[in-house]
Amino acid sequence: MLSWYFKRLGSRKIIEFIIFALFIFFFLGPLINLALLAFSGKWQFPAALPQSWSLTWWKYVLSQPEILKSIGLSFLIAIVVTALSIIICVPAAYAFARLRFPLSRWFLFSFLLTNAFPKMGLYVAIAVLFFKVGLMNTFMGVVLIHIVNTLMYMTWIPAASFKSVHKAQEEAARDAGAGPLRVFWNVTLPMALPGIIVASIFTFLSSLDEAQGTFMVGMPDYKTMPLIMYGAVQDYPATAGAVFSILLTLPTIILLFVSRRFVSADVMSSGFTMK
Amino acid sequence: MSGQGLSPSLETRKPLKSTWNSRGVKHSALGLLMVIPSFLLLLFMIVVPIVTSIQESLTGNDGQFTRDNYKYLFTDPAMKANIMYTLNLTVVSSVSVLVIAYLLAVFLRFSTGKLAKWIEKLYYIPMFIPSVIATYGIINMYGNHGWLARIMLHFTDAPFMKVLYDYKGLLLANLWFNIPFAAMLLSSALSGIPNAVIESAKDIGAGKIQIFFRIIFPLSFKSMLVAATFVVMGVIGSFTAPFLIGPNAPQVLGVAMQQQFSVYFETGIASACAVFMFAICSLVGYFYIRNMMKEER
Repeated sequence: MLSWYFKRLGSRKIIEFIIFALFIFFFLGPLINLALLAFSGKWQFPAALPQSWSLTWWKYVLSQPEILKSIGLSFLIAIVVTALSIIICVPAAYAFARLRFPLSRWFLFSFLLTNAFPKMGLYVAIAVLFFKVGLMNTFMGVVLIHIVNTLMYMTWIPAASFKSVHKAQEEAARDAGAGPLRVFWNVTLPMALPGIIVASIFTFLSSLDEAQGTFMVGMPDYKTMPLIMYGAVQDYPATAGAVFSILLTLPTIILLFVSRRFVSADVMSSGFTMK
Repeated sequence: MSGQGLSPSLETRKPLKSTWNSRGVKHSALGLLMVIPSFLLLLFMIVVPIVTSIQESLTGNDGQFTRDNYKYLFTDPAMKANIMYTLNLTVVSSVSVLVIAYLLAVFLRFSTGKLAKWIEKLYYIPMFIPSVIATYGIINMYGNHGWLARIMLHFTDAPFMKVLYDYKGLLLANLWFNIPFAAMLLSSALSGIPNAVIESAKDIGAGKIQIFFRIIFPLSFKSMLVAATFVVMGVIGSFTAPFLIGPNAPQVLGVAMQQQFSVYFETGIASACAVFMFAICSLVGYFYIRNMMKEER
């Protein structure tokens, strides 16, 4: 009976199914496990599924002042980082895509430096410098380290989007009598917006999730959500850790769902390669 | 920025090619002005720290020039073990990631099935999951009393193998973190290969293997290099997973460095370690930057 079913499916389908199953198991298994844990009341060892469900751990986690403080701090930092990144990087992206200026190629490629070195090595180097200039354990220091993490994507992705706007369309708007600023605001910007949105979301999320750099320069006063999580991995019961994990992942899932229209392999790849 | 400064009259707007008329100068100044803030940030956050850490790594506690930090790095048995461990893990992880990601990308490019479409939708997720959370998920999944151990118990009585706090666990974490990203870069490159090219190769009698090695692989090779660079960089500098699920000895360089800096306050040794890492990666980074610069022109 079963073999007949498989024959009808064909080997191609079977291979596809096996790949799909492996994919789900390996990449989503740990996440599904966390989701189950977060809503379980009792889940003792040999059982493959929780024995009872409950929300008690949510109440526990949401009543910890340390955790609530970290959520507020994380969002504050992420918002400041995203806003500053947009202010610093989007004009630069526009300049790279549309203006001719001396050494532009050198400037463009200098951004590769942010990715040409391993993160932890760079953070140690930055921490050594921060010690000397007094930026250790300051809000500004944490913000700076978050901005520099995404400086390249934040410049390259919007630059690729600005480039993909046809000059002819801008020219047409100008010929119809619109000033340069109006052309930018009404023609160029809306067409480049998907790229800018993807880059901004990327920046926001990476700031929200950043742990290593903050761990180096922000301890002990700037404990963001991921840093609390470092402690929670060791100190909290698994269920409480799982609840906190979901709280930490929730913004990511919501933002990705809202922006799923814009997120594609092509747009994201433009942050890492020149096309 | 006022609109006036930007607005050239109709006559000066026409000659688009000439660079050094008044419009060209304005563009140059404006362009530089727009780029300078991010460049200064880069200078302060990347270039200066690297110079500082080179300086720091060559200075002893007494403030005098010394090579002791490097000597320690390459002669201390624990440190030597750390370095070899990190290099080994980096090579094995990167090769596995690239091979699996390439296979996945090829599968996604040429499969038309429904399940492939689902994978296409879902494989972004790991890229956006905070690394701490993913590591925590891995702990709860593969731990001694983890989910997998519980499920396996229903099929076999054999004791569950040790994954966490071991080489295997770090390899697994590296695969989890890097495959989706590499697959994304590669599938973006593969989707750029027109079907028509492949069809026409088929028409003149090329077999599947020939098509792969003559067309698909060469056309996606550059993206492969980019992916390789980022994967190597990510693995060698990884911290979160090794910090939480790595063995205590030998340690991955990222963790060893953080310990030297934050626990033992050995800034010199930590800096020497960082400089050593930069040296390895500037080799990889050099090829990446050169490759990108060629692409631009």
